[in-house]
Amino acid sequence: MEQGYLIQFAVSAVAIIVLASVAAWARIPRKVAPLDESSARAVIADELPDALVERVWIDAAGQAAVAKSGSEAVVLFRVGDGFAVRQAPWSKLAKADARDGRVIIRFGDPAAPAARFQLAPGAKSAPFSEIAA
Amino acid sequence: MIDLPFDPIRTAIPLFIALVLLEIAAGKLGRAKVVYEGKDAWTSLLLGLGNTIQTALMLGVIATTMLWVYSHHIFEIRMTYWWAWVVLFFADDFIFYWVHRTSHERRIWWASHVNHHSSQHFNLTTALRQPLTQLVVGQWLPWLLLIWLGFPPAMIVIQNGVSLVYQFWIHTEAIKKMPRWVEAVMNTPSHHRVHHARNPRYLDANYAGILIIWDRLFGTYIAEREDDPCKYGIVKNLGGFNFLRVAFHEWMAIFQDIARSPKHAAGYLFGPPGWSHDGSRETSDTIKAKWRERMAKTKPAKAA
Repeated sequence: MEQGYLIQFAVSAVAIIVLASVAAWARIPRKVAPLDESSARAVIADELPDALVERVWIDAAGQAAVAKSGSEAVVLFRVGDGFAVRQAPWSKLAKADARDGRVIIRFGDPAAPAARFQLAPGAKSAPFSEIAA
Repeated sequence: MIDLPFDPIRTAIPLFIALVLLEIAAGKLGRAKVVYEGKDAWTSLLLGLGNTIQTALMLGVIATTMLWVYSHHIFEIRMTYWWAWVVLFFADDFIFYWVHRTSHERRIWWASHVNHHSSQHFNLTTALRQPLTQLVVGQWLPWLLLIWLGFPPAMIVIQNGVSLVYQFWIHTEAIKKMPRWVEAVMNTPSHHRVHHARNPRYLDANYAGILIIWDRLFGTYIAEREDDPCKYGIVKNLGGFNFLRVAFHEWMAIFQDIARSPKHAAGYLFGPPGWSHDGSRETSDTIKAKWRERMAKTKPAKAA
């Protein structure tokens, strides 16, 4: 391989470590407060403007939410300082296991394989069936 | 191999580093609108590094093909002809516009290009967030036409590098607007924010490389509006920062779709992103149509 390329690659590798470290050190992300019902509804309205949202459940950490929209669930979860939103049938949520105080919903979507929810202390499962009802 | 008397990208690496540091400093000091999220920036930079690996792996095939085509060129164009650089500047930018547009409008090429758009941020590290498969899917092939016409391969590589270096600085929120004549002719941060935006109004717009004139000419120009601030990312944002998923998620989704419905493989490969054989998903066109409908119902003037 060309020597010039190897030098460029090595310099680039060092540079990205430095730049990523500086970017993390700077702490200049968007300010995102923990979710509450109105902020969750606002995010969903922005992402899925045609969705009619009924009930909303926010996880204990305020990082994810599930909403009922017609016959489907709308799942909203934090990614970095932003959010990802997916629609899923309730059957997928019914299959979600609760373990160590967390529930994981798997979407089967390569771009967003799963969303994680923190349960309230003492809770054994997420109230998905009540939300869906 | 192709001997370059000047490599714009290699030359510009110190500039890339300095400008990223400057942008972060401006954000930290509150001098400009700059947003960086650590994991996002790390992913973008890693994709940039991955892109250089892809280039190295494909270099032999690309250079050999370019030199073979050049051995059959029809006009004698030398690097020392000043007019050749002028013609190449426009020809390269014209080809870039169409290759870029195709990268957004056909899923097989979008699967590669989506990497560049998957960040929810728009800063200078987004510029370095480059695809890992664009050479594999042949996005360099259209430039062979220029080589066949007689432009030496080294000229093409240099002009491509110049275009890439130009497009670096426009990935920022720190610069609001350039002078009016610049905004009229050149691709600018404002135009490119629109290109990276996921607001329905802004989808599939501003494909320019250096000159925005191509978008104005071919009807894909949309101006940035203060009443509809750009939101960045893709229509369905990624659910994490796993490097392999970020890099290959759309390829995985294509394979999933084809495995489920092999007889619609052509549609899933060459249809627009979001196309599905049963019409259950949304393309940019359907998203825009629904948005126009909503706007017409609520605020008629805003949809215009």
